[in-house]
Amino acid sequence: MNWEQQLELQAWIDGELSARDARRVAVFAESNADARLLVDELRMAKAFISSNETEVTVPETREFYWSQVQSRIERAESVSETSSVLSWPFVWRRLVSPLSGLALVAFLAVVSFNTFRGPAIDDSARFMVEVENLSDDVGSISYRSQSENMFVVYLYKKDQDADSDAQTEPVDDSFFQ
Amino acid sequence: MSKRLFSSGSPRLLVALVLLVGSSINTFAANLKLEAKLIWGTNEDKSPNLEHNQVDAATKEKLCKVFKWKNYFVVNRVTKPVPSRGSNHFKLSDECTIEIKELEGPKVEVKLIGKGKEVHKTTLTISKGQSVVYSGDDKNQSAWFVIITELEEK
Repeated sequence: MNWEQQLELQAWIDGELSARDARRVAVFAESNADARLLVDELRMAKAFISSNETEVTVPETREFYWSQVQSRIERAESVSETSSVLSWPFVWRRLVSPLSGLALVAFLAVVSFNTFRGPAIDDSARFMVEVENLSDDVGSISYRSQSENMFVVYLYKKDQDADSDAQTEPVDDSFFQ
Repeated sequence: MSKRLFSSGSPRLLVALVLLVGSSINTFAANLKLEAKLIWGTNEDKSPNLEHNQVDAATKEKLCKVFKWKNYFVVNRVTKPVPSRGSNHFKLSDECTIEIKELEGPKVEVKLIGKGKEVHKTTLTISKGQSVVYSGDDKNQSAWFVIITELEEK
């Protein structure tokens, strides 16, 4: 007797087969000794279970009991609908937590960069000046007047001596034209 | 069950972002508002050009302490913004233009352009109250000056 035949016997005892299948299985159970034994055992187990099943009594009336079950089901369905509608705040919250941490780290990095840049470095950088003559004909002398807070670049023609009285040789007399 | 629209992390993020933006202002240079003046220095009491006015008293005092001329006349004055990491041209006369570029640091690159040719370049940190002065001799024992200053934002 195979597994399917055993299942068919169980279904026959539970009354789950159609009339035609029930007749077929009944003939098989009568003709096969193993099947007969199994049917006897299954009937005995069924009778034992049905006669010893604990009966639970509900204090409420039947209508009231089932109305409570129904209301609980309805409430659970509405909560699941609400949570699906408000799902984007949860997504937002999941995004915000790491982002806020990242923003704080970036903030601390910028603050520490601004705070711990040494004042000495700042001062030296502040007074550092690069000058470059871009013309072959023109030379320059640059100096800083600390008292007047002024950085001066004096331009002169290279074919004249910058230290001499060069006022007769203007570097470019057309600036005012 | 009540659900909050924003989590407890939202104000934290907002505060952090505000502080981050605020602190970044010092780190990354802002736009500069600069003034370039073309000035003629002379020992004459008057300028031959009646449109030239004397510089203000404070400027005259500063210039007199550094240079030898007695009087200083404003030939032209150009005020322009220089955008962060950008540049601008200050045309002071037909032949004289100043190009100022805002650099990282923050520094500025000042380029003197005469008759369309680049003559000189200076790269330095400019601050309010400080002047960058280009100067050179002119005819009849006079001199020209280009004074660049950073203006207060208004």
